Amino acid sequence: MRVGWLLLVAMAVGVARLSGQTIHPAVAASVVTARVRTEQLGEAFQFSGAAFGGEGTLSLGRVELGLSYLQGRLDPDTGSAPARDLIEGSVLLGVRPVEWLTLSAGPHARAYAANGQTQRWVYWELRVRAAKPFIGAAVRGYAELWRAVAADANVPEPFDHAQGGEAGMVVRLARAPLEARVAYRIDHAVLGGGTRLETVDGVVIGVGLSWH
Amino acid sequence: MRRHLAWLGVLGCALGATPSTAAAQAADSLLVSGIRAYRNLEFDQAALQLRRGVGQLTAAGAPVAHRAQGLVYLGAAELFRGRRDSALAVFRRLVLLDPRFRPDRLVFPPEVTSVFEGVRLRTKTVAIVIPRDTAIPLQDGALRAWLVASSFQTVNVTLLYENGTSFRPLYFGPIGDSLPVQWDGRDAAGQPVPVDRLLLRVASRAPTGELASLLQLPLDLKISRPDTLPWPDAPAGSELRPERAAGGPATRALLGGLLLSAAVVSLPAAVGSHDTPSGPRVAVASAVGVATALGYLLHRPSRPLPANIRANESVRQAWRARLAAVQAENARRLADVRLRVHAGDPAAIEAAGP
Repeated sequence: MRVGWLLLVAMAVGVARLSGQTIHPAVAASVVTARVRTEQLGEAFQFSGAAFGGEGTLSLGRVELGLSYLQGRLDPDTGSAPARDLIEGSVLLGVRPVEWLTLSAGPHARAYAANGQTQRWVYWELRVRAAKPFIGAAVRGYAELWRAVAADANVPEPFDHAQGGEAGMVVRLARAPLEARVAYRIDHAVLGGGTRLETVDGVVIGVGLSWH
Repeated sequence: MRRHLAWLGVLGCALGATPSTAAAQAADSLLVSGIRAYRNLEFDQAALQLRRGVGQLTAAGAPVAHRAQGLVYLGAAELFRGRRDSALAVFRRLVLLDPRFRPDRLVFPPEVTSVFEGVRLRTKTVAIVIPRDTAIPLQDGALRAWLVASSFQTVNVTLLYENGTSFRPLYFGPIGDSLPVQWDGRDAAGQPVPVDRLLLRVASRAPTGELASLLQLPLDLKISRPDTLPWPDAPAGSELRPERAAGGPATRALLGGLLLSAAVVSLPAAVGSHDTPSGPRVAVASAVGVATALGYLLHRPSRPLPANIRANESVRQAWRARLAAVQAENARRLADVRLRVHAGDPAAIEAAGP
């Protein structure tokens, strides 16, 4: 929780510097080849499929607000378990203490729906993201790590910890706000002292518009 | 108030007057009274006053026209006094002073004008008409003088060094009424004049070949070479852009790509997942690797930068144009060497007797 307070102080400092700044919006659409793997008492269940989503960011000075939504259908890779619907969304408020570094925090919710039952996961995350151009100004690489400081899931096992990350590159066309993104993302949750492991990973391919 | 102004005027006139102007005024009044006496046929009185007046004018360096007027009246007065020899001497002096002078036939009777003509025809001398200051281009210019003869004669026009040795002959031959002579500012070998003073000497000879008179004119010379412009400096290094790419962007692309690929591949381990298929990660890492390779090729070190090369070429072109303009201007200035000539006062040199 102490880290959460520090992040809030950092955001407050960022908000205090907002006067005279311009809002920079960004929107993107993406497709994610998602794979969900659950290991429980020595058994593994794996689902995969494509999910489609969108995300948007509003930047004002050093502060930014990010929203994302993702939805898709996951089919079982093994066994005879029914297919699931995947719905995921997040709201993150961040601050950039330096140009290449963003600290953000907020809720990240995920739900699996199958046969009228819904399994909900809500993580309260702290994220650190570093981004820097490495091929001229056209290609920017980024890596992001997050850790859940609190979680709520309607599963029997008590929540232990969860963390995840994403790394990839964004190609920006010269003199145009059009961007293309390819990245790999993963998050991993541990419940019940390791009796249940939840891993979600996949490749993200997206296009977007960014007015920076 | 008026008295004060009058006194101030008198004082100003008294302070402004100089001995030479006072002498000239006295000589003028002598000439006037001499001419009046001549017209009253008082030739003795006229001759006395005119001789004194001419003497004072000569001493004061009065203009030739003034002195010539006094001399012609003096010669006429001497003639009518019966002193023909004196009249001849005065007329000869007048011809030597101004070979172009002719008595006014409306003023002087034929007895006077015929005697004067006789003297003029026998007296061989010339006047040199030349601008006081001249600047002549050495490339293709010339100093032009005009010789005006008293009568038909043979002249020898020569430029001399100050010590009297010959520098360059300009003309030898007959002269009727007048003759132009010119000098191109160079010696006989075509080289620019090496000294800063020459003498223009005109020797007049009678038809018998006898030396009749010598007239000499000093010429002060100065070669004027215009300053040349300094060449413009070549473009400094700070004005030019690098024409070859530095290694920084390529290295950054390579290291950044490698780092990003490593981050993608090791991401599951970083979040504690050890049983994750590598396919998606490798695909993304490969895409990053391809982009890295392309970025390295696009930003490879020492590759030519055409935009910078073009920009530098335009800077160099502008410098070359400025240089060519300065060189052309300097060539024009170097070719425009001028000889400045200041002509002094002519002096008659007595010809040695036979």
